Amino acid sequence: MLNAQDRFFIERKYHDPEQPFNPFRRRAYHGIGYREDSGLDDAQLLAGLKALEPELEGLPHPIARAKAIAYMLENTRVYINEHDYFVGLYSLDRLADSVTFKKWANESKQLRDPELVCLSDTFNNCGAVMIWTDYDHVVPDWRSLMELGFPGILARSEAYREAHRKAGTLTGEADAFFEGIRLEYAAVLQLLDRMYQIASRETFPKAERIAISLSHLRDGAPQDFFDALQLIYVYFIVSECIDSYQVRSLGNGLDGTLYPFYQDALTKGLYTRQEMREFLSYFLFQWSAIGNYWGQPFYLGGTGETGESLYNELSLEILEVYDRLEIYNPKIQLKINENTPKWLLEKAFDLLRRKNASLVFCCEPGMIRAVMGYGATYEEARTMDIRGCYETGVRANEVCSTSGYVNAAKAVEYVFTNGYDRMVQAQVGLQTGSLQSMVSFEDFYRAFLRQWDHLIQKSMEITDDAERFLSYVNPSSLYSGTIEYSLNRGKDAYGGGVKFSNNGMLNCGFASAVDSVLAVKEFVYDRQAISLAELAEVLENNWETQPLLRLKVQKSPHKYGNGDALADTYAQAMAAWFACRVNNKPNSHGGVYKAILHSARAFVVQGEKTGALPDGRLAGQELSKNASPVPGMDKSGVTALVRSAAGLDPTLYHESFCLDVMLHPSAVAGENGNAVLEGILMAYLRQNGQSIQFNIFNPETLRDAQKNPEKYKNLQVRVCGWNTLWNNMSRKEQDAYILRSENVQ
Amino acid sequence: MKAVIADIKPMAAHDGPGIRTTVFFKGCPLRCLWCHNPETLSSRPQLAYYAHKCINCMECVAVCPQKAHTFRDGVHIFHRERCTGCGACQRVCLGEALRLYGEEVTVDSLLPRLLRDKPFYDSSGGGVTLSGGECLMQADFCRELLKALKQEGIHTAVDTCGFVPRQALEKVAEFTDLFLYDLKAFDPQVHIACTGQDNGLILENLQYLDSLGKAIEIRIPYVPGHNHRQPELLEPVIRGLSHVTHTEILPYHNYAGSKYEALGLKNTLPEALPTKEQTDALQARFL
Repeated sequence: MLNAQDRFFIERKYHDPEQPFNPFRRRAYHGIGYREDSGLDDAQLLAGLKALEPELEGLPHPIARAKAIAYMLENTRVYINEHDYFVGLYSLDRLADSVTFKKWANESKQLRDPELVCLSDTFNNCGAVMIWTDYDHVVPDWRSLMELGFPGILARSEAYREAHRKAGTLTGEADAFFEGIRLEYAAVLQLLDRMYQIASRETFPKAERIAISLSHLRDGAPQDFFDALQLIYVYFIVSECIDSYQVRSLGNGLDGTLYPFYQDALTKGLYTRQEMREFLSYFLFQWSAIGNYWGQPFYLGGTGETGESLYNELSLEILEVYDRLEIYNPKIQLKINENTPKWLLEKAFDLLRRKNASLVFCCEPGMIRAVMGYGATYEEARTMDIRGCYETGVRANEVCSTSGYVNAAKAVEYVFTNGYDRMVQAQVGLQTGSLQSMVSFEDFYRAFLRQWDHLIQKSMEITDDAERFLSYVNPSSLYSGTIEYSLNRGKDAYGGGVKFSNNGMLNCGFASAVDSVLAVKEFVYDRQAISLAELAEVLENNWETQPLLRLKVQKSPHKYGNGDALADTYAQAMAAWFACRVNNKPNSHGGVYKAILHSARAFVVQGEKTGALPDGRLAGQELSKNASPVPGMDKSGVTALVRSAAGLDPTLYHESFCLDVMLHPSAVAGENGNAVLEGILMAYLRQNGQSIQFNIFNPETLRDAQKNPEKYKNLQVRVCGWNTLWNNMSRKEQDAYILRSENVQ
Repeated sequence: MKAVIADIKPMAAHDGPGIRTTVFFKGCPLRCLWCHNPETLSSRPQLAYYAHKCINCMECVAVCPQKAHTFRDGVHIFHRERCTGCGACQRVCLGEALRLYGEEVTVDSLLPRLLRDKPFYDSSGGGVTLSGGECLMQADFCRELLKALKQEGIHTAVDTCGFVPRQALEKVAEFTDLFLYDLKAFDPQVHIACTGQDNGLILENLQYLDSLGKAIEIRIPYVPGHNHRQPELLEPVIRGLSHVTHTEILPYHNYAGSKYEALGLKNTLPEALPTKEQTDALQARFL
């Protein structure tokens, strides 16, 4: 296992943990232990790139980009360190972008529809839709990488290039695509050799292991368990920090990808279990040290061809090592099915109960149906990758950028303001008419759906316009090199060169919108406690003039997440309505849109920009997140919550659907605790739920942590698709968190 | 047939195996000093008033047909003697300060509410537990309810203090998979002092259930200063039974104080709490 001294050094490999650290800017820092004589610092590299810039001018983008990246790989300082088995790159902040990506992104803005560019800015500013181009969800074909290694990937690409030439299909564009791959992989091989030369001259105990792995990777496919880990790390760090594509899964199932090497090592006596445990501990700890806010994901398990579980002894080994490291990053997704072995569930529940570990349970039945919903075969769905927080994707053949975080609560707000946005003081929504004209609930509901649809349709227009330039701005040579389908087509994976070239669109603030619509129905139309116009005034003054009415609204049983028949009916209708407006709509690059019911950090960011809502929420407060209820409004227990959520038909959310469950420690204590957790999980799975995550907290602990942060330096909680330290959350986020935990005693 | 219940608790994790729904019946023949469900002692509906939660919204005044709620100088006065337990005020109380314990139910009205969580019972090995108060004070109702639950394939448990006529047990045994059987003391004098009743019937009923071959889980509250040494004295009795699946020591807690106050009852809760070491040591005897 990772020893204390090495842990101390690796903790400082990417940034100094004693200094203030912004996890959103994690790449902007430098760590210790890099060899000054091995290359240039950031300023020198930027100057070098600047000098290179004229040479790149006019070249096809894949080639220009690959040359800039090659320059980085040739000149960046590297890390071969006695405290670590893994190599490292000093300059992590995507410096090559300065002469390529950033320039081309600006250029593409000039080529795009100016009105849509402007609308995109407005949407982001007012919180109606968060929208940007997304290069942060790639999962390379790790199987190809393991079988071929970097040299083999390069050779395969060249073979395809030759085949295209012979077939007469090697257009200029295709040739540039292949040349980009050639240059970039050649640069990776050169980097491996450069690091090998350093390692081979070193005499510290780990040096030999490092040098051998580098020579193996330079010359061919990984030969053993350690080589495979080193390969994953090298690919990750080059892609993440030089190539500007965030790798969102380690392995196509880390256990599945590594298992052949693990078995081979044991059969041939290459490594003992203990040695491999040690390698794993250094490997996993890298991501703890990097400290990405979203957490570095990988998944385990799955279902094999004949229905068997793919969990193996290495799966358990990975969880054991993770447990012993006492870390919360990376985060681990567990594919769960009826075939999932008891021992795996017991280990996972143990991790949850003892330390609220960063685990997400991904239920295969619901996810497989979701993936097949956009045209994948059963085989493609069965072998899907889990990407990012808990998104689905066809392995080695799907690109999906999450392009629009559509704020459903804003659509409610726009009905009251006739589309005028007070945040940016402009007409952003539709003009759906005066409130006096909405004489029935049907009128109001119709106006709400029109506002919501307007945000969805405009987001698609913006996305379609912007995404014509995905590979123009950032050719994905490193990634495309691993994707055989792209090579076959001679096309960048981000330029339509995959079978599934998709976009995800997120339904954000869902429960806030449901509860708000129902509050209007009950209090304005059914009980006539207030007119719509009066309610508009109340909302404008943030409920200050009607505190009792606000309490009445909040007391109403018609809140999503409680098994209330009326609330659940509307929630089901609205969830299905959004999904139907989004799913399988063609995008601009040969793929389709996929609906998502999770909200990443939009529930905070958009909440800050959304006014008071009819459900009693005050302006600026958090919105509901994921498929979860409004904070504090799930008052009927976990089983009612799961019934409400599963009733939404999670399989309609083709990209992802996630439910957060808050449990009091006493509910899962003792011998019965595992049965309770398993009961919730499997009931959710059997109702076609997709992802589910558990938080096990006592509100008193959380309140104490708020008062005495110094006592709770290691307290971590699950925010959305990731875990974060309690002390890193804003006061407002902490308050919302405590509010939810109070309902579960 | 009707019954009066105090509450239905979904996701109960401590009233038998798996995820359960527990129905708390009203009415109890014992008066345990440490009772933490005082709202179940009386068999009639009772309104609890949690004064600290009242926000003076005065919504209750308008709806109460008995004028049981009045306000003077901004202070809410609850005239308990006037209250008939209709629950109208609970439905409008904006501070959640008023809570009615006592709902009249039939088997037909209760069953759908208990079946909603069947997927969770199935996936966790759970089911439904009848508790209280003493549910077997309404044994005929319990029999019908348990029978209906068994027809739906649901695991059933009955939590009883045992101070009930033998016939009550006979009525429900057929449809009960597990008895949660509470024992408080071995010494009859101690038992009378703690609960107001002798324990002879309780121990006889326990033997009877055991003779039926029913699975029994024994639960012994441990209350320092009141039933001291009693769990140890009960040990041979328990060891002499054939169908005890588990014995659980329940450490006494005093969280229920606010409920006594809200119900206008004299708070009888003892002060001394058991230490974890005491509880663990006792529990170890029964493992």
